[in-house]
Amino acid sequence: MNVDVNVEDTLKEAMASRVAGVQAPPSMGQRIRRRNRRQVVRFRTAGAALLTAAVAGAIPVYLASTAAPAAAPVGTPAIGTSEPAGDDRAISGNVVPNVVGVTNEGVREILETAGFVVGWKKVVTEGQQPGTIIAQQPVGGTVAPEGSTVEVTIATAPAPTSAPSAVPAGDNPLQDLGDLGDGRTFGGVHLDYLPDGLEWGKWSGKDGFGKTSFTTTWVEPSLASTGQYSVQAVVFKGKAARDRRGYAKGAPVKIHGKRGYIGSLTEGGDVAASTPETTLTLVWFPRDDFAVEIMLSPAFVQKLGDDAANAEIKKIAEGVVVES
Amino acid sequence: MTEEDEAAFDEFLAARSTALLRTAILVCGASPHDAEDLVQGALEKVYRHWPRIRRDNPEAYARRVVVNAAITKARRRRVIQEITFASPPDTPVESPDPGLRDLLLAELGKLPARMRAVLVLRYWEDMSEAETAASLGCSVGTVKSQAARGLARIRTRLGTLEGASA
Repeated sequence: MNVDVNVEDTLKEAMASRVAGVQAPPSMGQRIRRRNRRQVVRFRTAGAALLTAAVAGAIPVYLASTAAPAAAPVGTPAIGTSEPAGDDRAISGNVVPNVVGVTNEGVREILETAGFVVGWKKVVTEGQQPGTIIAQQPVGGTVAPEGSTVEVTIATAPAPTSAPSAVPAGDNPLQDLGDLGDGRTFGGVHLDYLPDGLEWGKWSGKDGFGKTSFTTTWVEPSLASTGQYSVQAVVFKGKAARDRRGYAKGAPVKIHGKRGYIGSLTEGGDVAASTPETTLTLVWFPRDDFAVEIMLSPAFVQKLGDDAANAEIKKIAEGVVVES
Repeated sequence: MTEEDEAAFDEFLAARSTALLRTAILVCGASPHDAEDLVQGALEKVYRHWPRIRRDNPEAYARRVVVNAAITKARRRRVIQEITFASPPDTPVESPDPGLRDLLLAELGKLPARMRAVLVLRYWEDMSEAETAASLGCSVGTVKSQAARGLARIRTRLGTLEGASA
């Protein structure tokens, strides 16, 4: 071969030949929109869906119809549902590998090789091979900061004996924090105040909102079997708390002199008017490395009315005692 | 997102998605299928910000997102295996010397991801040094030196091979 060829031109030609046969598929727009839809369905909804599944685990008949949406929140193309995000984050980080369909043995290596931390969630489902990953967040192909948590949802078989009274079981995989009693003390906080008529949701999660985060819920007893939560609290510590600060949105509030934000957030985490699709959220930072987030479910807000809900969420927050 | 935004996004995809996909393949060395996933992910970001960026050179924004994702992917791949540019089954573009072409692509695959991105943008996308710098978020000087070094490496390796086979 002749090395005196013009390397630039030959390179150009070689590159052209490499990709000449490649065409973007016509379905790309549709797939981008579907991906966008999944992207904006954040853990806020996932949390509620997991909770549904947790309760459904005790009532298998109910489960078949409710677990499905949890596993596949994807559906219609999200035309018109995207909120223009106000923040223009720099695109740096790694591409999240797609691990849906992988077994739980293999997933850690794949994600850690790609530079991510694995966050586990189990969902009781039927019709899915137990031990396989049925969902992940963020979804494969998106770019996320190196070292961030990719949350994977593992299909779990329903318990063989599932009397409705089986909740809470001490070794229930969904009870990350064990039996919390009245649920008011967890993750280094105690809630002095909760609205009347609520009881612990017998559900808790660990690290679902970033490493060293804890969450649990309180429900109206009459609605417990539906998986409908009324109040959810999340405690963020360390890095999870600092990360939480990065996407705190809403109107500024002070909780015992500490800065916080309150707002009705969409699934995408943007502030919006209060509607049945938004979640009333109050997050504040008792310390630099400590954040507490309180959410009222859309149904609970509707029941209370907006003004009462705003008053209640602040009262809950004011009643939170943080361990020193 | 208005209907007009949606329609404009579709137009944008029709005009640019193939070129972006091709660029991604060249920068990260992934299979078309993997690269498609990467480009979809990158364009999802574009879509998310579309109403705001559509009137402000969305193409440059999209390319920047795609190239950054491709560089990251290339670096990841690097850990596992050296990037290979497998010859596609059919290569419609006529080349006087397919052997040389493959060799060049192999050498291109051995370059650091960012250096390769410079060569792809400069010689495949036909971008100016200033445009390349803007796309990669670096200085024009870096583009110049990376392009020169990348080409020099390829020349040297071809020269070594030439010497060995002569």
